[in-house]
Amino acid sequence: MADSGASQPKPSSSVKLVLLGEAAVGKSSLVMRFVNNDFQENKEPTIGAAFLTQKCNLPTRTIKFEIWDTAGQERFASLAPMYYRNAQAALVVYDITKPSSLTKAQHWVAELQRQASPGIVIALVGNKYDLASPSGGDNAEDADAAPAAEGENPEEEDSADARRVPTKTAKAYADEESLLFFETSAKTGMNVAEVFTAIANAIPETSLKGPRGVGGQTNLNRQEDARVNLTGGRAEGPKEGCAC
Amino acid sequence: MFNLTNLVQKAQQLIEPTLSIAGPTSSERDRRPSKATLFRHQFRLPESQSPLQEITAELTLSPHHTTRGTPGDVTSPEKERGQGNHYVGKLHLSEQYLCFSTQGSSFLNSASLSSSSSFTGQTHGAGPAGNGFTLPLCAIRRVERLHSQSYMFALAITTWNGLADSKSKNAVPSGQKLTVQLAGSRIQCERFCDGLKKGLREGVREVENLRAVVMQCYSEYLLSEDGDDKSHGDGGKKTREHPDTGLGMVFKYPGNARKLRDATKIRLWREYLRENGRSATLIRQPTFHKLIRVGLPNRLRGEIWELTSGAFFLRLQNPKLYTETLAKYSGRESLAIDEIEKDLNRSLPEYPGFQSEEGIGRLRRVLTAYSWTNADVGYCQAMNIVVAALLMYVRPWLTLILSNTSRYQSETQAFFLLSILCDRLLPGYYSTTMYGTLLDQRVFESLVEKTMPILWDHLVKYDVQLSVVSLPWFLSLYINSMPLIFAFRVLDVFFLEGPKVLFQIGLAILRINGEELLDATDDGTFISVLKSYFARLDESAHPKSENPKLRAVTRFQELMVVAFKEFAGITQNTISEQRAKHKDLVLANIESFAKRTSIRNLGPESKRLSVNDLSFLYDRFFATVYAREQRALIMQQEADRKAKAGKAKATEIVTGFAGSSVEQGRVGLGPSDTQMDYDGFREFLAGIAKWAVTDSPSPPPESNGTQSPHSYFGGSTRTRPPMSQWGSGPEPADHDFMKRLFRRWDTDMTDALTLQNVVTGFAQVKGTKDIMSNISYFFELYDDDGDGRVDREGILRISEALLFLSRRGLGDTASPSPSLTDLHAGSPERGNRDEQFLSSVSAFIRRCFEYADPDHPSNQGNRDVDEVKDDLDNFAIGADDEDDLIDFGSEPNTPVANSPSQSKHHTKTPLSPVTSTTNPLTPTQSNSSDKDRHLKAKEANLALDPNKPLHITLPTFRMVILADEILEQFFEIGFSASFKLADAPLPSSASSSSNLTTFSNAGKQVAANAAVGMAGVVGGAGAGVVPPGKGLRGMLDNIVSDGMRVAAEVRRRMDEAQKEMDREAKSGQGRERDEDDEEEERGEVGAKDADLLEGAETADVDTRSGSTPDLLGAPQEGTEVKTTRNRSASDASRRVLEFER
Repeated sequence: MADSGASQPKPSSSVKLVLLGEAAVGKSSLVMRFVNNDFQENKEPTIGAAFLTQKCNLPTRTIKFEIWDTAGQERFASLAPMYYRNAQAALVVYDITKPSSLTKAQHWVAELQRQASPGIVIALVGNKYDLASPSGGDNAEDADAAPAAEGENPEEEDSADARRVPTKTAKAYADEESLLFFETSAKTGMNVAEVFTAIANAIPETSLKGPRGVGGQTNLNRQEDARVNLTGGRAEGPKEGCAC
Repeated sequence: MFNLTNLVQKAQQLIEPTLSIAGPTSSERDRRPSKATLFRHQFRLPESQSPLQEITAELTLSPHHTTRGTPGDVTSPEKERGQGNHYVGKLHLSEQYLCFSTQGSSFLNSASLSSSSSFTGQTHGAGPAGNGFTLPLCAIRRVERLHSQSYMFALAITTWNGLADSKSKNAVPSGQKLTVQLAGSRIQCERFCDGLKKGLREGVREVENLRAVVMQCYSEYLLSEDGDDKSHGDGGKKTREHPDTGLGMVFKYPGNARKLRDATKIRLWREYLRENGRSATLIRQPTFHKLIRVGLPNRLRGEIWELTSGAFFLRLQNPKLYTETLAKYSGRESLAIDEIEKDLNRSLPEYPGFQSEEGIGRLRRVLTAYSWTNADVGYCQAMNIVVAALLMYVRPWLTLILSNTSRYQSETQAFFLLSILCDRLLPGYYSTTMYGTLLDQRVFESLVEKTMPILWDHLVKYDVQLSVVSLPWFLSLYINSMPLIFAFRVLDVFFLEGPKVLFQIGLAILRINGEELLDATDDGTFISVLKSYFARLDESAHPKSENPKLRAVTRFQELMVVAFKEFAGITQNTISEQRAKHKDLVLANIESFAKRTSIRNLGPESKRLSVNDLSFLYDRFFATVYAREQRALIMQQEADRKAKAGKAKATEIVTGFAGSSVEQGRVGLGPSDTQMDYDGFREFLAGIAKWAVTDSPSPPPESNGTQSPHSYFGGSTRTRPPMSQWGSGPEPADHDFMKRLFRRWDTDMTDALTLQNVVTGFAQVKGTKDIMSNISYFFELYDDDGDGRVDREGILRISEALLFLSRRGLGDTASPSPSLTDLHAGSPERGNRDEQFLSSVSAFIRRCFEYADPDHPSNQGNRDVDEVKDDLDNFAIGADDEDDLIDFGSEPNTPVANSPSQSKHHTKTPLSPVTSTTNPLTPTQSNSSDKDRHLKAKEANLALDPNKPLHITLPTFRMVILADEILEQFFEIGFSASFKLADAPLPSSASSSSNLTTFSNAGKQVAANAAVGMAGVVGGAGAGVVPPGKGLRGMLDNIVSDGMRVAAEVRRRMDEAQKEMDREAKSGQGRERDEDDEEEERGEVGAKDADLLEGAETADVDTRSGSTPDLLGAPQEGTEVKTTRNRSASDASRRVLEFER
């Protein structure tokens, strides 16, 4: 949106991206941060899924993300195929303060690898970095070293460090499955844009010309038009409700 | 363990609310909801009610200015005849309710289905439609019979209207009067009146209860004010306190009260309630429906929701349920509670009420209480939003009027509304698989396709998935899609008219936005079109219109009109039909997803099994569990029916429950932690391992009795009710080994296995190729106290288990490969290899005792008992081996096929002829070897002096096993191969002993006369019975003699077969099959005669190997078998060599 100036006719294409992960790990907050650069402490749980869009400008092209933010509760899992259908990218989110959420994330990765469209770009994202201790937060090395004490340590309740999933562990897993990997904080905004940029870069050029990308550009323009019409009200051409 | 009653309840919960989601069975009859269900749905009555009496009647209400003037009333054309309003309809009586409806639906058993389900009103049977009333009998103060000229029977009913007033002031309650004329024969009328009298008498007890519930209704407060006081109660420092009408009372209701014309609405309602009764005694007249369509006033909203949805009756029935539930589970933890906690701060967070502790507390308590009362549903996201919305209006009275009610009771109303929502109005929406939600999405799609084909084609063309848009609408009842004030308007109608409202609104939304949606070519645009529509619902629908009246119509009003006028044809019946149509597919989808996920999530252990195997285990596991559940249910019902045959309940069971009971037992319906008890485990195993099928199916009850001493296994299965508890599958055996396996796999000590337990268990058994770990696994099974020792008893049990496992023959893989045979055929030290499994086992026992370590002579006390017990066990072993023989004999499907023995394994008919011939202790053909056997046995017995307690340790056990190649192979592969998973045919489908096909084929040539001979052998073979005094020696004798018997027979038949083969003498192919023959043969060869036979046997092998004809037509698994066997055998030999070094 920022610079979709007509002066700069970069090729633009849409990418369908889906967010998956356990309940309350911050999927919606990540999207909110990315789309609106905003953060809400108590966000309503997503019912079914929420849909948002945001553009991401790369040097050579513009990617328009169509983001499907899904519900996290276990029983909603059976709805997920509906949302990751045709997705070109997926953000699998876990909470670095909850080891169980990484397990769930791994389940999702497995599910995507088997069921989603082949060639889907998957990023593993550990959210709530702001809850990790500041000492460990300086750089990645520290973060690696600090949790050598290991996640499942109930007695280390002294510090403010709520981290229970060591960066190493998750990183190793991500490498093994060749996923993109980030630790983020939707609250502070750390790494959020980076995740999406990395995904945008990782989407192969060819897949942009895929089924969804066909005529993507013209398509897009048409949608934009439609939206303009919308805001102008239904006045232009409402033939009293006979769509059929 | 299954809790049966719980299960039945669950089934009913599941079935009853799903008026429309009927069972997956194909039979049309089963899909019908029972009359009682229809009745309850029509009047929104609690589950305890059933239609007892009904009669055609005319209701006369005294005239009032508001109701009389209602124009255009279609449903009561008789109105204005004489005085007051007249309605013709049906009067229904249930245990605790008297209901009247202008709809002529009948719920008598004799009534046709169409007459009880063809509804015409707005609700189409999903709610209190038409005009009339639903009176709790306790709300009736008096019934008088009037003298009437035109009707035979006329009743004047006086209600306890204004009951609450009567106590606070001492005026007589205003009490409205209604007149009902009954139209029917004198007898009918009298019968009805008798029923009514009886009900009224019962009802008297409930009056105080009713008073307590009614006291807390806002309507009572509203009407207790002065009629002129238009300020709806805020100025009221009256004798009564203002009842709490939800969080909105403190934190403001959403929307602008003036804009919503709240005051006007309250005034209209006050008038209506004054004339037509309030809360429990409310009478529905046409105005009632209209008042609801225009939207309820804030303060009355909760009460009317409660009344129309039927939650009021639930509360009346069980006013303390909420508090009691909270108290009972106070302090308890659950997954649902964790999930609830996560969302408490995220439920309508922008509403001030939910930024307060009070609001959060209410939300927590209501959700928690519900999660306990319906643990199957627990908590589902979206419930938090719905409940939060309810709590704005629904009264939790902060200021308590009644001293005996605790503070927590305040949310009772919201709690019961939630129950009604989840259990009846939105069946399956919030279940663990959310099948109701998914199903209704399918239904919605099909309705769109039907009503808006152009839009539908467009969606299909651009691959836009409608449900991504519409799912949240249904799941949260539009609450988080539309602005709250409009969502509540939808809810007002929804609670009265039922789930079809959601569909009507959804269709109307699409219809109104049709033009723009046709321009949308992807999900995203689709969603944003609708989003912006919702955001502008309050704007004018026709902003450019000249007509100011038209301009004043908001988009929301337009939506309501389109929904209820244009889509008036969408009825509850439409939806029921569509649900029934799509149900199977939706469930199948969910199930395949659930299966995929759960298999993937079984953990690292499961990786040791192949995907096919896992899939097989999954199917088999759930098939077993559900089949058992269902059988239990049906049996339960049969019992019930017998118990109260002839009563009205029985017909209910027939028409309703029995049919829909098939509903139970689908993964898609959402039980998440299904478990299998021991009996289930037996049945499960019986489908997987042939040794787990019983040898003596318990006889049908008629022929019960002391049939045969044969019944070691059969006898332990319980006496069965008429229907087999095993269904149509093979009846499972019950053996100590299975018990041990069950205990071993039941790692959580819950006395039940989960799928996870089973898979992990199988991974240990089948997943490992390491003979050492298999051996120790087996050893640990028998090491009861875990001290690394197995005592004499244990040793015998192990051998017994080995015999048990092998009694149907071992897996193909248990025989050595041809190459190995060639290799070692001549080597004398490999002679043992030729011993048959049985002899191996007896050798095993002998060795065990030989190498056993002496125990401390302390625990000898119960030896004798053990011995007696051993004898019994021992006897069973004898029986097993006879079965083996029978198997061999009956295998050929040539003339022998009708031999009585065959029925034993292939059908479930009792086998009296066989058993009778089996039992006598006639001498066997192997007489010659008898002496030998006894010699050996005695020798072995030297080690068996019961005065010397002893034990073996794992190393000893391992050594003994490894010393014997047959056993070694058994532990290497045979054991795990005896479980047939995905890649192998099930024993039930093929013959019960597939590895014996060699024999069956050999037997083909032997043909009928062999079978005749067979019978003789079988007859003579029952040598297993030993007088108790002989103890362990007898036991060993039996083992040995059994071995002999088998060996003799096998040998005889082998020889015959051999002759045949030689004659045919094709060369080269099917060698491995042939090896099987040899193996079996060698295997069966007389236990202690091995030495004698050895020479001949090996010679035999030599002559035959390589030149035997293919009798089998080369089954394809042949090669596979060959390779594995190859490896194992060579492995085995290596180990043996090591050992011997």
